[in-house]
Amino acid sequence: MSETPLQPEDAPPGLYDENGNARFFADPAMDRFVAVVMNLAQEVWVQEERLLALEEDKGRAPVDRDAVAKEFIDRVFAPVRGA
Amino acid sequence: MTVELQHPMKADATAEEVARGRFVSGIRGLILNDLAADMKDGYEKRAEPAFRKAHGRAPETSREAHQALRGDPAFNIYSAMRVQAQKMVWASVADSVERESERLAAEAEKASGSLALNSDLEIPRNVHAVDVHLMPGSYTRGGDGLEAGAVYDRGLAIFSMGLMGANLDDIGLSMANYIKLRFPDFAPERILDTGCTIGHNTLPWKQAYPDAEVIAIDAAPGPLAYGAARAKMQGQDVRFEQMLADDLKFEDSSMDVVWSSMFLHELSKKQRAEALAEAYRVLKPGGLMVHMELPPNGEMSAFDGFYLDWDSYYNNEPYYKGFRDENPPEICAAAGFAAEDFFQFVVPSIGIYGEEAVAKAAKGDAQEAVGQQTTGRLAEGVMWFGFGAWKK
Repeated sequence: MSETPLQPEDAPPGLYDENGNARFFADPAMDRFVAVVMNLAQEVWVQEERLLALEEDKGRAPVDRDAVAKEFIDRVFAPVRGA
Repeated sequence: MTVELQHPMKADATAEEVARGRFVSGIRGLILNDLAADMKDGYEKRAEPAFRKAHGRAPETSREAHQALRGDPAFNIYSAMRVQAQKMVWASVADSVERESERLAAEAEKASGSLALNSDLEIPRNVHAVDVHLMPGSYTRGGDGLEAGAVYDRGLAIFSMGLMGANLDDIGLSMANYIKLRFPDFAPERILDTGCTIGHNTLPWKQAYPDAEVIAIDAAPGPLAYGAARAKMQGQDVRFEQMLADDLKFEDSSMDVVWSSMFLHELSKKQRAEALAEAYRVLKPGGLMVHMELPPNGEMSAFDGFYLDWDSYYNNEPYYKGFRDENPPEICAAAGFAAEDFFQFVVPSIGIYGEEAVAKAAKGDAQEAVGQQTTGRLAEGVMWFGFGAWKK
């Protein structure tokens, strides 16, 4: 990587932190917290798929994992809708 | 929708890796459809009225829409989640690429694609000095090995949520079919794809015009090496060469088509002007330059313009907005094309709408507006914007 990061010439001030990462919330900790919540949700989903696989091994009818994942995501992230 | 790639270099992923990818595709679906709609509501209900109150008028440009949205809660949550989801795209495939590096190398060697690298070529800053699309290491990750191409291919499968098809070639298929149907007497013998990355949107041109010689170039060696193998594995005879679009090593009047997809916006203004001039130079009289790109800001509302420009500020696409602020007819004219030979169009995604819809668009039976919300926006109902010009 070059020593001088390329950024849009007309970027308004305050878009990035000192490391060049985008900032959105007034409290920078919120930006990190959003990432933590998403990582955590992904980890829970991985366990959910493991459970589905175990249940299918025990005779449960296979489920549409994409559809179940959508339901899971919609349910977990419902509080951010309509912001 | 989970996408499984269609060639032997596809991931032999663990169940956990598949689950991670499925989650990322799913969360991107939520962000790009539902949270995007929430952000538009927030713009109309809060951001735009606040801007109007402060300035006595509504935002008129993408930049002003951005200014109005900064700090709005719907913009904040959409943006913070979209940035993180983008990072998760690449993280979700990194392990499988690393674990399978030896198998990938063996598969590529077996395929023996047509590849010519140029170790003397100085790779431009826009290719290596920024993690384009937030992909760690960008296009030069892993040098001239297969890593960058594999990460890009597997990552794009997750990123695209099924909207680019199982072979990630919906743009190329839609565009090549459109051109073939709109200009049925045009029979190119030599086709050049500039800025091809892994050639996923090159192959449809070989499929549309199987008798043509198809050459794909890019500045980054790793994706080319991967793309050459990927093409050969799919039975496509395409030559991959390391070369700059703004410094082509082909003779004058030697190509019938110069094509690119999602490429011009990754070039600086100067590089872009030179690439278009080079396209004009290498085209034969009667040849066609055609580019799939994001639609220009000049034809969109301030909000819809900024919606696309978001990537410029937050997805490491520093030249994206600069390109979208340009006027396609003007940059084609500056490259030497006559104004009357310019054309632009919107093609329905062939994967979503089907061949019939592409045929209707090509025959002029269904004209889609350049500035409509679905044009260029990777979400439900996406359509692709293209422009080009004939060299007389």
